[in-house]
Amino acid sequence: MIKLENIERRYISDEVETTALVGVNLDVAEGEFLAIMGPSGCGKSTLLNTLGTIDRPTSGHYWFADTDLAAMAEKDLARFRAARLGFVFQSFNLIDELTIEENIALGLAYRKDVSGNKADRVAAAMDTVGIAHRARHFPHQLSGGQQQRAAIARAIVGDPKLILADEPTGNLDTANGEQVMDILSALNASGATIVMVTHSPSHADMAKRRIDMLDGRIVASAMRAI
Amino acid sequence: MNRFALLSLYRSLTRHKLYAALNIGGLAIGIAVFIVLGLYVRFETSFETWLPHHNEIYAIQSDWKDQSSPFAGRYVETMGGLLDELREDFPDLVGTRIMGGKHGGIVQRGNTAVTEDVAMVDPSFFEVFDLPMISGDKDGALAKPDAALISESAAKRYFGQSDPVGQTLRVSMWEPKNYRVAGVFKDLPDNSDFTISVLIPLPENMREINSNWHHWGNSSLQTYLRFRNPAAAARFDAAMPALIDRRGRAYLGDKPSDIFGLVLLPVTDMHLEPNGNAASSAKMTLVTLGLVGTFALLIALINYINLATARAGLRAREVAMRKVLGADRRAVMRQFLAEAMLMVALASLLGLILAELGLPLINAAGGLSLTIPYALVVPALVLLTLVAGFLAGIYPALVLSRYQPAAVLASSRSPGGGRAGTRVREALVVLQFGLAIAFLIGTGVLVAQTQHVRNADTGFQREGLMTVMSLRDSQVDPTQSRAFIQEVRALPNVRAAALANTVVGGSGTRNADNVPLPGVPGDGPLVIWEIVGPDFFEVYAPRLIAGRLFDGRTADDRANTAQGQPDNVLINRQAVGVLGFDSPDDAVGKTVGGDHLRTTIGVVDNLSFFGPRAPTDPTIYYYYADPLRTGNIVASIRFTGDPRAFHEQLEEIWQKIVPQVPFDAQTADEQLIQFYEDDERATRLFAIGAGFAVLIGMVGLWGLASFNTARRVKEIGIRKSLGASATDIVKLLVGQFMRPVLIANLIAWPLAYFAMRTWLAGFDDRIALSPLYFVGASLVAIAIAVLTVLGQSLRASRTAPAWALRHD
Repeated sequence: MIKLENIERRYISDEVETTALVGVNLDVAEGEFLAIMGPSGCGKSTLLNTLGTIDRPTSGHYWFADTDLAAMAEKDLARFRAARLGFVFQSFNLIDELTIEENIALGLAYRKDVSGNKADRVAAAMDTVGIAHRARHFPHQLSGGQQQRAAIARAIVGDPKLILADEPTGNLDTANGEQVMDILSALNASGATIVMVTHSPSHADMAKRRIDMLDGRIVASAMRAI
Repeated sequence: MNRFALLSLYRSLTRHKLYAALNIGGLAIGIAVFIVLGLYVRFETSFETWLPHHNEIYAIQSDWKDQSSPFAGRYVETMGGLLDELREDFPDLVGTRIMGGKHGGIVQRGNTAVTEDVAMVDPSFFEVFDLPMISGDKDGALAKPDAALISESAAKRYFGQSDPVGQTLRVSMWEPKNYRVAGVFKDLPDNSDFTISVLIPLPENMREINSNWHHWGNSSLQTYLRFRNPAAAARFDAAMPALIDRRGRAYLGDKPSDIFGLVLLPVTDMHLEPNGNAASSAKMTLVTLGLVGTFALLIALINYINLATARAGLRAREVAMRKVLGADRRAVMRQFLAEAMLMVALASLLGLILAELGLPLINAAGGLSLTIPYALVVPALVLLTLVAGFLAGIYPALVLSRYQPAAVLASSRSPGGGRAGTRVREALVVLQFGLAIAFLIGTGVLVAQTQHVRNADTGFQREGLMTVMSLRDSQVDPTQSRAFIQEVRALPNVRAAALANTVVGGSGTRNADNVPLPGVPGDGPLVIWEIVGPDFFEVYAPRLIAGRLFDGRTADDRANTAQGQPDNVLINRQAVGVLGFDSPDDAVGKTVGGDHLRTTIGVVDNLSFFGPRAPTDPTIYYYYADPLRTGNIVASIRFTGDPRAFHEQLEEIWQKIVPQVPFDAQTADEQLIQFYEDDERATRLFAIGAGFAVLIGMVGLWGLASFNTARRVKEIGIRKSLGASATDIVKLLVGQFMRPVLIANLIAWPLAYFAMRTWLAGFDDRIALSPLYFVGASLVAIAIAVLTVLGQSLRASRTAPAWALRHD
């Protein structure tokens, strides 16, 4: 489904050039659950952001199905994200002024092609992550685990092809972390493609494949033994 | 803007109530100030625009071109017969004369006489001034010599509920006469300088009644013309010099058009055009007040933009998330612009409410009767909402929509618009404070000048001085006047009472003559002459600078000379130089005049009878033992005790002696108020507008300071953990705001200097533009700014470092 060819990402600020990604080649098949690991600053998040089109590679090709996203206009990318991608962040990034239900519905707000009743889909997403009883609450009224589940519901409400999770358990305690991982595994089992950045080896082990990064390169790739 | 954006805006406003209040409240106050001052400007510029065909109506101004004359300038007054002479040359001319007007005549009802705004006009009056009628017929009405048209309120006053048409009204301009009411016209609106409640026809034999009717150079009424188009008016204007030269030669010398002109003035310009040599302050006052309103709005907008952009940074995460979820840049920009417009719309609504609530206070402070014309204000506010909303929203929209979501979401802190954003905000604070400081300086100077003028040395004591104006009425005969003044002098609380053709505030006419100087060729300078009776200088008690005052016992002081004029004169200080004397002492004993030489027996200090803006004219005083032998004599009375009680005492005497003429007396302060009220009103409006502008500026600074302090909590924690004391932190935070405030002086000082210098130039007696006003205003601004940010800085400086370090 995804093919990255020789992706490079360099940042230039105040005359200092930082290379975040160097010659990254990666294939992600439909239905895969891929974990990305590596030390801080190795380029994990940059790779994930590149996959999520919220960061553009300096060079290389990013094929999604048969389209090269690296060359796509910003406006089209926005439309692409709305239709195909779901994001989960370490710090949840829920909007404080909106209720949980409204935050989740926001996942459909920028899509023009939503089939069926939006409210039903929001309700279904909330049911999936077990947050329906908190629908009318605001983010700050929820625990971290609940907030992250809400963020996952927001990511999946649009029925995306690809879910990108950036350290989804990084801000959570063990119990809540496990809950979130269970949800992601279940989503994957029901057909969703997931790419997840994590520091936790045990959580990485729940993925079907794991790649390790160092200094902007993929240094190892391993399939989970089943 | 989708539903979520609206929801998130609403909840953001309700959750951060203080910021919402500062943001919307500040802007609302700015809008309210703008509306109110805008209404005032609109009112002042709308005079006579209510008249049908007002664009076609012109007043004829007499233009006295000799700048050395005390009468130099353009006056909306002409000689009585001008219209007749013009018609001989321009047979198709549409025009009318208006003689009288405010307090122009008397209406007698039974045994009482009431001063009324009577005007005598030509039968063609309605061809020029097509006043809307309530009842009766205006067409041809004024062609009947005994027809009168009265205003709606005059009709109510004199005839109550009964139909006034056909009834009789006894009106007197110089002699009483019965008129039949032919119709009732609508009361003239507030935005009119015409004060007319009774219209009667000009008698056809005016030439016999007034020997100066065709005397070129004489001024006795106003002449108005109506032209089909501006080109016709311009052709008329161009023809005037030749006409003046042809017709005025007998009165104004060989080339009359060199010294005298007739100029058309659009009737709608009359209100703001200065009359004669008065300073042209009305327009400048209006422009100033308009600017105050605009600047108050500008300051409020700056506030709004500053707070909005500063706080918008806090929403970067929201924007980034929206982008991640598929919003494109345009969607984000749309959202912010729509939000800004919504906020400005809210502020406009609130501003409108504030203006409506504040208007009664402004009306009271300014002696006005402004109302909000919603049909005009609402569309204007919609436009303002769109424009101001765009201005306020475009910057956050551009900045926020540009954020790279990946960068924002990866960072634990929200971006604040970067260094560029901070610089823009600082520049806006500089501009805002610059204007605020300029306003403070302006307010200081205006108030000081107004105070100065109030307390200025007029050359006489204003308290305990009463003027009786009704003596000049043509129905009062000299015997009655003498009887009146005699009884007044006998009152125990009267210290002195004098008859003269001048009083404080003016008696309605002024006379000037050229005074030939011995040994100097030519007609000599034009000098005002005044006739004063016994005790005039006891009443006004001007300082005697040189020589002596008149002494009734000295034969020379009496007007029993060949030409009926006295030989001895007094002059005022202003006349010393004009008449060619080196000093007041030099003038004493010297003679002036041509055929009739007069000896100067003394010099008195200037008596300032016409307010602070008017220069004191060089004046010669003639002493008449019985001034009533001449015309237009009024009385000045020096008294002790309560002015109101004294007024009643005088009125009683008057009613006994002259019942047929209404009593008209005013204290010196009442007489002078006409010269002060415009400036005082402008000062009050300016101070109110400026006060609010400064307040809005402070509110903005407070909001910005509180925002910045909140953003720097973590920094404060770091600094404190590194050993910074609370004082260091306060210095740091206060210092940050001092810089723009100090730089603001660079804008404020020159701006205020030029504005105030120009304004003060309109006063003959003015204060010096001392640097104290500038330094003082800056100190006030700095003090306010320090106090504004100090509280928050103190609180921030006391934060526990451990907590602060965890703060995002």
